[in-house]
Amino acid sequence: MDDLIESILGIAPGSPLAELRRRRPEALQHAQGAYRELLMPEDPGNVSHVERAALALRVALRENDAALARHFRGLLEKAGAQESIMLAEDLSAAPMEGRLAALLRYADVVGTRPAEVTQGTIDALSAMGLTPRDIVAVTQLVSFVPYQVRVIAGLRAMLDEGAAPAAAKEKAA
Amino acid sequence: MKRFTMEEVGWTPRIPPIEEATATPAQRAALDACPPAQRGSAYFRTLANDPGSLGERGALFNTVMYAPRGLPRADREFSTAVVSMANGCVYCTSVHARRFADLSKQREAMQRVLEEGHGVETDPRRRAIADFSERLTLTPGAVTAAELAPLRAAGLDELELLDLVHSIAMFANANRLMQSLGETEAPG
Repeated sequence: MDDLIESILGIAPGSPLAELRRRRPEALQHAQGAYRELLMPEDPGNVSHVERAALALRVALRENDAALARHFRGLLEKAGAQESIMLAEDLSAAPMEGRLAALLRYADVVGTRPAEVTQGTIDALSAMGLTPRDIVAVTQLVSFVPYQVRVIAGLRAMLDEGAAPAAAKEKAA
Repeated sequence: MKRFTMEEVGWTPRIPPIEEATATPAQRAALDACPPAQRGSAYFRTLANDPGSLGERGALFNTVMYAPRGLPRADREFSTAVVSMANGCVYCTSVHARRFADLSKQREAMQRVLEEGHGVETDPRRRAIADFSERLTLTPGAVTAAELAPLRAAGLDELELLDLVHSIAMFANANRLMQSLGETEAPG
């Protein structure tokens, strides 16, 4: 099974961490499933695959997760979406116009300051032609990347423990 | 920390939730994959507007919070309450603080954390869980193997640690959804 988190961390098949993760098979299956449904759904509604990858790239950059950002950037490169990459990677406060810019600003507020979302924020998305389904999809997407970021960060710390965990456990016991 | 409570807090969606009577088969199936106690809530019915993501995300939430063995459920609830506080999500904090209190019978300890922050936590296991939960929530890029040592010292094994990471990550997700898609009605 393709697993984005394992490929990003370079977790080898059969390694202790790979085996540990397989003790929670549903967490693997549905994290990968959510990734697929959010980034490349069969029916993307009014939010294209390119827009979705650009939003994911933006959140990964805001979270300072270079490896995850590289992955989403790769999806955009494959789609030849250079302009979307430029917009998503422009973290300056320079005013940007257009639909993708507005979506990226929504990703910024949900990703980094969700308490600041108001009814007006959501109504502005509706005014851009997004349906309730589109709004939920976009919000799910920009809220899911932070999940990936923290699983990757937690697992990286566990990988870095290297051979130490068994010894530490014995000491604790 | 006065704004955090384990009393019931209201939540009003900013877009129309799906009504069960008029749900499409795909929306119904997605709701069925969510925890039984919560699938009728306004929040889950709001997420059902996009059944594809809810089906996978609902099933992920379910296994992260309720899968058997591994990290005890009370610890998962405690961790997610601390994460929700760090993210400023009053609604999620109230739900998971209440579940922790119900499961652990440690209502007073939870109340103290709600009022004064987890720095007042004296139970070493809970303190280690709370410290790590806040660190991975606020500065994921800065978390190193050294941060795992207090959890190891508190006796968490490999599977418990994996469950803890999943719980913390899940609420990076849940807190953002909850705060964006609806309005929390301030308690009191």
